[in-house]
Amino acid sequence: MLEVKGLDKHFGAIHVTRNVSMKLERGERRVILGPNGAGKTTFFNQIVGEVAPDKGQIWLDGEEVTQLAVPDRALKGLSRSYQKNTLFDILTVGENLGIAASIHTHAARSPLRDPLRDRAVREIVAEVAHQVHLEPYLDAPVTDVSYGVRRQLEVGVALATRPKVILMDEPTSGIGPEMAHSFHRMLNELPRDLTLLIIEHDMDLAFDVADSITVLNYGEVVFDGTPEAARGSDLLKEIYLGSWEDA
Amino acid sequence: MFRLTPVRSGALGLLAALGLYAAFSAEYFGLEILTEIAILSMLVIALDMVAGFGGMVSLCHGALLGIGAYAYAGLTTMTGADPFLALLGAVVLTGIAGFLVGAVCAGSQGIYFIMVTLAFGQMAYAFFFESAAFGGDDGIAGVPRLDLSGLGVDLGDSRSFVLFCMILLALVTLFAAHILRSGLGRTLVGLKTNEQRMRALGVRSWRAKAYTFGISGMIAGLAGVLAAQHTMYISPGLLNWTVSGEALVVVILGGLGTLVGPLVGATAFVLIKHEVSALTPYWHLVTGVILIAVVMSGANGIFGFFEAQLERLRNRSKPAVEGKLKQGSVHDA
Ligand SMILES: Nc1ncnc2c1ncn2[C@@H]1O[C@H](COP(=O)(O)OP(=O)(O)OP(=O)(O)O)[C@@H](O)[C@H]1O
Ligand SMILES: [Mg+2]
Repeated sequence: MLEVKGLDKHFGAIHVTRNVSMKLERGERRVILGPNGAGKTTFFNQIVGEVAPDKGQIWLDGEEVTQLAVPDRALKGLSRSYQKNTLFDILTVGENLGIAASIHTHAARSPLRDPLRDRAVREIVAEVAHQVHLEPYLDAPVTDVSYGVRRQLEVGVALATRPKVILMDEPTSGIGPEMAHSFHRMLNELPRDLTLLIIEHDMDLAFDVADSITVLNYGEVVFDGTPEAARGSDLLKEIYLGSWEDA
Repeated sequence: MFRLTPVRSGALGLLAALGLYAAFSAEYFGLEILTEIAILSMLVIALDMVAGFGGMVSLCHGALLGIGAYAYAGLTTMTGADPFLALLGAVVLTGIAGFLVGAVCAGSQGIYFIMVTLAFGQMAYAFFFESAAFGGDDGIAGVPRLDLSGLGVDLGDSRSFVLFCMILLALVTLFAAHILRSGLGRTLVGLKTNEQRMRALGVRSWRAKAYTFGISGMIAGLAGVLAAQHTMYISPGLLNWTVSGEALVVVILGGLGTLVGPLVGATAFVLIKHEVSALTPYWHLVTGVILIAVVMSGANGIFGFFEAQLERLRNRSKPAVEGKLKQGSVHDA
């Protein structure tokens, strides 16, 4: 479904992505772990096209997309959420979902019709609101809901374009371990054919959702395997207790 | 995206009533001022669409107005085209011009965007200034008004002409409101609020920007057609960048991104200009001081100031729901 081949990127002297390859099957849930500054977000930015890699290829559903612009990759079924909330703050929760859904249905292109009254758009909004538990907040302005609800909306907006693959950049950042576990239970209820690549900070939290785990350190893949193998890995313990500590 | 709040519909109703009262009660000089207000309002609504709703600050709207005026004047006086067809032709032409400007500028941000629009405006100005076919520096005289005698209306009459302009202004305001609530309008506001996210969701930003600029260009072009009919004479001065600058002053004075602000701003601006210039030739100083005061006050223009006060009054009578929302989270949902 998503394949990355030999991705490489420098920011000046920083070698932020080092020959990274990765393959996700349809419906796979893979978690990327790694300390602060390991290059996780930059890796996502290259997959969606916000940052151009120096080398390497990105394939989406059997098609190479390395040269495509950000919106064109999105229209092919790639979606992402951000580490820092990237929402439409002047709109309501429901309008945030609606604007994303209307891009998917192309209602967003109409100079005449209001997409938020479009039936297909409303159906997607209702469905996504159910999936990420936003039903009670649909009419509330984004600025009136709690940070936790905004994190749900951040993922909801990414879901509302009905993508095949979603990259979630630390969806649980800043909400505390207990709520993070419920957040992951929510992710586990998403349709099973949806492919998820999730950046997580905390190894324990990764086990909630991961079919497979990739660990990045200094831009390099230092581990790639099952959650069980990750649990037993001495290398991971070392990173975990070393630089990870201050993460 | 445009929200039609009760305060805004009230303000639009009030302005319409005042406008009609003035149109029926004013004498010749008053009617001239009213016509000037209506035409300036239309130009500023076009500017508000791109600047207020789309965050695209344009310094070529005067040129778009001028292109509309020249197209209308040229088609009627040189080819003898029917004034009504000439009006349509002028609007289509300025729509295309606006679309092209929007498409080319879509990739630029901030000051660069402003500079590219200014360059477009100056090119259009230079073209008409140098063009012998369009009368160069002298412009074009003898521009006819629309012939509505079939409807029993003589647009040569000042009162009929101002009513005609006001009806078109009302239609343009409704049209702009409709566009801004459409998919295109919501996309535009999404791009202004968060372009990065819109692109990540699949929006090619140049498209929405170019289409909006095109529609805005059509409205500016219509204002140009009315300006040409009003004075029945046009010159390259219409395309001067100062006209665009004045439109920008008016939209900031009235309030950006509200559609009501342009009407309030144009009314205030034209009235100040006429009242104060009767007293002193330094009327620009007075508008300057007022503009500075409005901007420093932190309000969104004159209309934004009153809107904020009225909304505060309205909200005071509503029960608070915020406390409940702030507790929400995935945990208890
Ligand atoms: N646009 C940029 N220009 C220059 N350097 C950058 C840029 N973006 C990121 N970096 C640098 O690249 C490195 C990796 O950053 P990145 O944000 O990808 O790490 P991360 O693994 O997501 O970290 P965190 O856990 O803090 O989110 C950091 O040293 C960062 O300062
Ligand atoms: Mg990061």
